Amino acid sequence: MADDTTEHVLYAERPEWSDVVPIPQYENIQPLAPIFYTPEYKDATDYFRGIVKTGEKSLRVLQLTETIIRLNPAHYSAWQYRYETLIVISAPLEPELVLTNALTKASPKTYQVWHHRQLLLTALRDPMPELAFNEEVLKADAKNYHTWSHRQWVLAHFDQAELWAGELPFVERLLNEDVRNNSAWHHRFFVSFENGSKGGTGEGADEAVRRELAFVKGKIALAPNNASAWNYLRGALNHTHLPYSTQAAFVELYVVDAVDADADRVLDLENPPPSQGAQLPCLAAIEFMADVHEARGKEGISEAVKLWRSLAHTHDTIRKRYWEFRIRDAVANTSVA
Amino acid sequence: MSSPSPGSTSVGTGVSDRMPLPALNKAGHVAHCVRCLDGLPASLVEMDASRMAIAFYCLSTLDVTSMAERQISPTDRKSWKEWIWDQYAEGGFHSGPFVSVSGSDTAHPSRGGAGVVASAATAPHLIMTYCALLALAVLRDDYALLNRAALKCMVGACQDADGGFETMPGAGDADLRMTYCAFVVCALLGDWSCIDLPRALSYIQRCRTYEGGYGQTPLGESLGGPTYCALAALHLVPADHACAPQARLQRAEWHATVRWLLHMQAEALAPVGGGGFAGRTNKLADACYGFWCGAALAILGAGDLLDAHALGAFLAQCQYKFGGISKAPGEHPDPYHTYLSIAAAAIISPDPAWGLQPLDPLINATPETARWAKEHVSAAPPEPKR
Repeated sequence: MADDTTEHVLYAERPEWSDVVPIPQYENIQPLAPIFYTPEYKDATDYFRGIVKTGEKSLRVLQLTETIIRLNPAHYSAWQYRYETLIVISAPLEPELVLTNALTKASPKTYQVWHHRQLLLTALRDPMPELAFNEEVLKADAKNYHTWSHRQWVLAHFDQAELWAGELPFVERLLNEDVRNNSAWHHRFFVSFENGSKGGTGEGADEAVRRELAFVKGKIALAPNNASAWNYLRGALNHTHLPYSTQAAFVELYVVDAVDADADRVLDLENPPPSQGAQLPCLAAIEFMADVHEARGKEGISEAVKLWRSLAHTHDTIRKRYWEFRIRDAVANTSVA
Repeated sequence: MSSPSPGSTSVGTGVSDRMPLPALNKAGHVAHCVRCLDGLPASLVEMDASRMAIAFYCLSTLDVTSMAERQISPTDRKSWKEWIWDQYAEGGFHSGPFVSVSGSDTAHPSRGGAGVVASAATAPHLIMTYCALLALAVLRDDYALLNRAALKCMVGACQDADGGFETMPGAGDADLRMTYCAFVVCALLGDWSCIDLPRALSYIQRCRTYEGGYGQTPLGESLGGPTYCALAALHLVPADHACAPQARLQRAEWHATVRWLLHMQAEALAPVGGGGFAGRTNKLADACYGFWCGAALAILGAGDLLDAHALGAFLAQCQYKFGGISKAPGEHPDPYHTYLSIAAAAIISPDPAWGLQPLDPLINATPETARWAKEHVSAAPPEPKR
């Protein structure tokens, strides 16, 4: 918002603006959802319309659009006109980025502020500091969709090995803080599987999937009832065309009713068991095993149906209709096949 | 549809063996919307850039609750239509007059042709264009002032080289919301020639994620709103269009998307938001996702797989005591959550006593309003094909 420490002088009262003809907002007699504007906003937007009409693009336009943006960060026209002005008058963009940093932190959920950053970064071509700034913004809200989209844009747009290089440790930092942060899991998938060979690490697809399976299984062991991690496991397997059955030995450990006290005598690193005190059975594990059995065809169908029934009637009743549909669907498909 | 169907295309067969739902305070929600149409406080100045969307939510709330006829006087109807047309310029609509420099001169010249304007700052906005066309349909406008050629031109000019759609030509801010709006405009016009459909479909495909939903932009995290936009857009492509096969989900995709959508519903006894839908994995329920996810499931023919009673109970809890619906119980209401909650209830029909109009989940309007829009937006004499 406009800074309230100094008295705001209306543009109508500023001598250096006296040459501009302000254009009041036109509304008919009965407008829809009119806003009872503050005098400051009304004044600034009257002058903005005056400027847009004459097409003036000058230094003072930057001042005016900043006033408007601080009062209403979603004013897309003020942002757009501001950017056009920056370019036309060849204003230095570094200070603009510094200003935008402050505006971003003040309004991190506004589309326009992130779009403006994209335009500036595209022109400035110095993406490295942007990742650090981005992490700073995520500290205030680790699931802000705009912040994450922007980070993905920076990586994909500039596509430099040194940008990608820090991403896995970065994601790990965030997952250590909150293992259920789905945005961080999504980002990990993007970095591990969707950047092609762009990581610059020269690792092959096999190596990536081996590392990621070990990683996600470790996180599941830590907190088994975490839909983000299970979706990641499924995603990694689907992406690399590995059958779910390859993970059956691991997932079976999570379908039981309680942690097996004797199970950790020989620690199987490939298949880490649930941590002590974990809430079992794990719904996602039951669902996963049902999929494993369904994939076996006729042989597996009765085992799958048993698991779906347990979800429908005991463990996940909100999705009763879904689990019953899965049963109908599987039975129909097996009898046809 | 080649995708498997869960046996029935009907949605929301109510579950009779459970507690009856609290009443839907329709009069209160309508009053909230009428208040917002009358005026908004200065604290909501950010809405200046989306007044047309507020008009759409409020008018549609009146429509779905069957109050449009009773609540909108002939005078209101006339002046509201006029206000919406005042925002029309260069083929599309602005969110409001906040950037109009032509004052009371309502004869905005259409620049038609190239779809290029002097400053993108004064160009019409694709989302607001969708909202305006639908709001006009609720008001049963005849679209006599609509320049179809200029509208097509504007929509076409919003498409970028990637296949996505921008809010304004050249804005460079494409995401799935505008893809959806562009597809609705084409569907209303009954003319898909103004966009590059194969490219648009490939953009949608690139927004799919490993979770089974769609992100707002390619490579983005699965999110309820964009998932609705993607699925509605795909299903708006006419079955007889050459691109129709490309617009259909594969069997495995259909299953993955239905699974992801249904997993967004919070278990009924969850400490917070039980029965409601979240927009992303491991996030809390929010009333608006009852619509985005519920309508997406209905579009996929899987609307009867969600727990309509539990969702209805959550939406009922989100009702504010003085009217309007908020994103979660105990929060303040707004037209966006009010309309989308009521639209969700119209689709899933958790309780017949709530007495709502049915809803066309693709256009996001009552079937009658959707039909009106299709008939009248496309009504101009056919133009020569390009």
